[in-house]
Amino acid sequence: MLDILFIGLSLGSILLLVALGLAITYGAMGVINMAHGEMVMIGAYVAVLSGIWLKTSLLLAIPLAFVVTALLGLMIERVVVRRLYGRLLDTLLATWGIAILLQQAVRLEFGLSFFGIHIQGLGVGLQNVAVPSYLQGTFRLAGADINAYRTFTIAVTAALTLATWFILYRTAAGMQVRAIIRNPKMAAACGIDVKRVNAVTFAFGSGLAGVAGVMMSGFKTVFPDMGTTMVVDGFMVVVTGGVGSLFGTILSSGLLGEINALVAIGTNDILARAVVFGVVILVILVKPSGLFSFKGR
Amino acid sequence: MSIERKFQIAAYVIFISLIFAAPVIGDEFWLNRISKYLVYGMLGVAIALTWGYAGILNLGQGLFFGVGAYMLAMSLKLSSLTSLQQGSDKPVPDFMLWNAEPGAPTELCCINKGSFLWLPFQSQSVGLVLGLVLPVVIAGALGMLVFRKRISGVFVSIITLALVLLVRLVMVDAQPVTNGFNGLTDLGWLTIGGIEFDPYSRATYYLCAACLSLTLIGARLIVETRAGMILQAIRDDHVRARYLGFDVSLYQVFFFVISAGIAGVAGMLYVVVAEFASPTFMDLSFSVTMVVWAAVGGRSSLLGACIGAILINIIEAEVSETEALVEAWKAIIGLIFVLVVLFMPRGLGGAAHDVVRWFVRKPKPGQPFPALPQQSEVL
Repeated sequence: MLDILFIGLSLGSILLLVALGLAITYGAMGVINMAHGEMVMIGAYVAVLSGIWLKTSLLLAIPLAFVVTALLGLMIERVVVRRLYGRLLDTLLATWGIAILLQQAVRLEFGLSFFGIHIQGLGVGLQNVAVPSYLQGTFRLAGADINAYRTFTIAVTAALTLATWFILYRTAAGMQVRAIIRNPKMAAACGIDVKRVNAVTFAFGSGLAGVAGVMMSGFKTVFPDMGTTMVVDGFMVVVTGGVGSLFGTILSSGLLGEINALVAIGTNDILARAVVFGVVILVILVKPSGLFSFKGR
Repeated sequence: MSIERKFQIAAYVIFISLIFAAPVIGDEFWLNRISKYLVYGMLGVAIALTWGYAGILNLGQGLFFGVGAYMLAMSLKLSSLTSLQQGSDKPVPDFMLWNAEPGAPTELCCINKGSFLWLPFQSQSVGLVLGLVLPVVIAGALGMLVFRKRISGVFVSIITLALVLLVRLVMVDAQPVTNGFNGLTDLGWLTIGGIEFDPYSRATYYLCAACLSLTLIGARLIVETRAGMILQAIRDDHVRARYLGFDVSLYQVFFFVISAGIAGVAGMLYVVVAEFASPTFMDLSFSVTMVVWAAVGGRSSLLGACIGAILINIIEAEVSETEALVEAWKAIIGLIFVLVVLFMPRGLGGAAHDVVRWFVRKPKPGQPFPALPQQSEVL
């Protein structure tokens, strides 16, 4: 039983990494970023490419992926999202377009495949990432086999969640973000540079997704379309948890991860996902503002 | 009748005459392809009706399309002869025969645990009726739940999205009954009143053209009724509409159901034309792609959304004739999409509307140019 709960926890931790970024961008900026899943995908590809070309280990890919996806996120915010503030569903559509662009960019190797140039690690095919030997295998804890890599995933998630919490609740910049979540116009009236804070927030959220991608690359195959399911799952977590509530996002990712793991043991992975969707629908129907939300806006 | 109104009617007349005149210029294979796009055009109308006129962005329209498609496909599967060629004396879906346990009776009632669900589909009319009724019932039930609880905006989108993905997973998981990922192939032909609808015949093309025309005209008429006006009022300010005493959720459910019905019929037609039904109809990407068509064509223009769907698919088919451009085309679509949302939020329909207005109301010298009415922000 303990090992099942542990698998659920590790599923939930990946969900949380994806959802954290979404929770911040959606909560603070009112932007539905469908390209968020592609940030996960690109993070995973950073792990693949750095393994092949730089011969570095997965650990080094984590900061690298954060930087790459954060910069990409910043660019997307500057070029597209910035023009769409206040048009919630338009951001969904435009970022969907960006998501397609990014997928095709990886698939076509940035267009180089037209000229017959192929980059090892990119392209249509599936990629795998080698997990360092000290993260492989299992160890026994309280009578259950615990997978070392899953433990590592949970640890990284916990560290990043703590960091996010610290930034949001213990720094001046975080205070500005929280002010924007509560009321963007009032925040602007109080002298907060909403545009700048939004851009940095978006970049930070994208960076978190990149790290989630690196962690996923350790136990899943990497391919150009992998982000689409991630962004859906991430949104389910955010909406279930309550928009703009970090605490709610953490709890609901744990909840959905555990449901997924428990149902999957009894039946199969497909039905487990279906049950998770069912739970999400019920939660929205019963409590549209999410399980843990504050009043505001 | 205002001149703009005349332009509008002319646009509908021209479009409908064009699709009925199309068989003159193309062969059967081309017509089959165009019929598919006409079906997509119906989906564009369905999206524009809920999104443009009701302000409800349904990210799960594929659910209604898929349910309609599967219902008719099940009937057509049983009227295909492939199962008889597999050694059965009664029509049984071939995949059930392949996967049947040794010694299982080769009858629909009991070849496997779920196969009895197929029993009613031995009659084609059951498939036809259920293909319309089931999407409508699902939409009605869902709409009652969602709109009575005053859920709106992005939450409706998330619920419909989660629902379509849920149903898709269940369909894939129920492999013995639905053939899972592979979907239903090798279908028979639809037969209504002695006419066989061979997918590569003019009859099928005219069936699609007629359905699209009826949908367009019907949708146009219905948004101009009092109910349609109230719906648009609700879209613009649902609080005020409620305050004025209108039963907001009733109108929302009504138009949600109509849109689902259109999608169900579109699903059935697609099965007739393309001769398969598959869980990909309920993929996230297909449902979002429909919204893309409507956005490019003009979300608040029924005809625009319809033309958008047809146009994008025609261009896509032309481009993907060359092997190398298939993947590049997707990137181009992504780019077009970003550009349309950024710079042409009202799509082709909105642009056409502005052009007509500009021609009609050329300001006389010394008279100020009449201001365009503020386009309400459609969420």
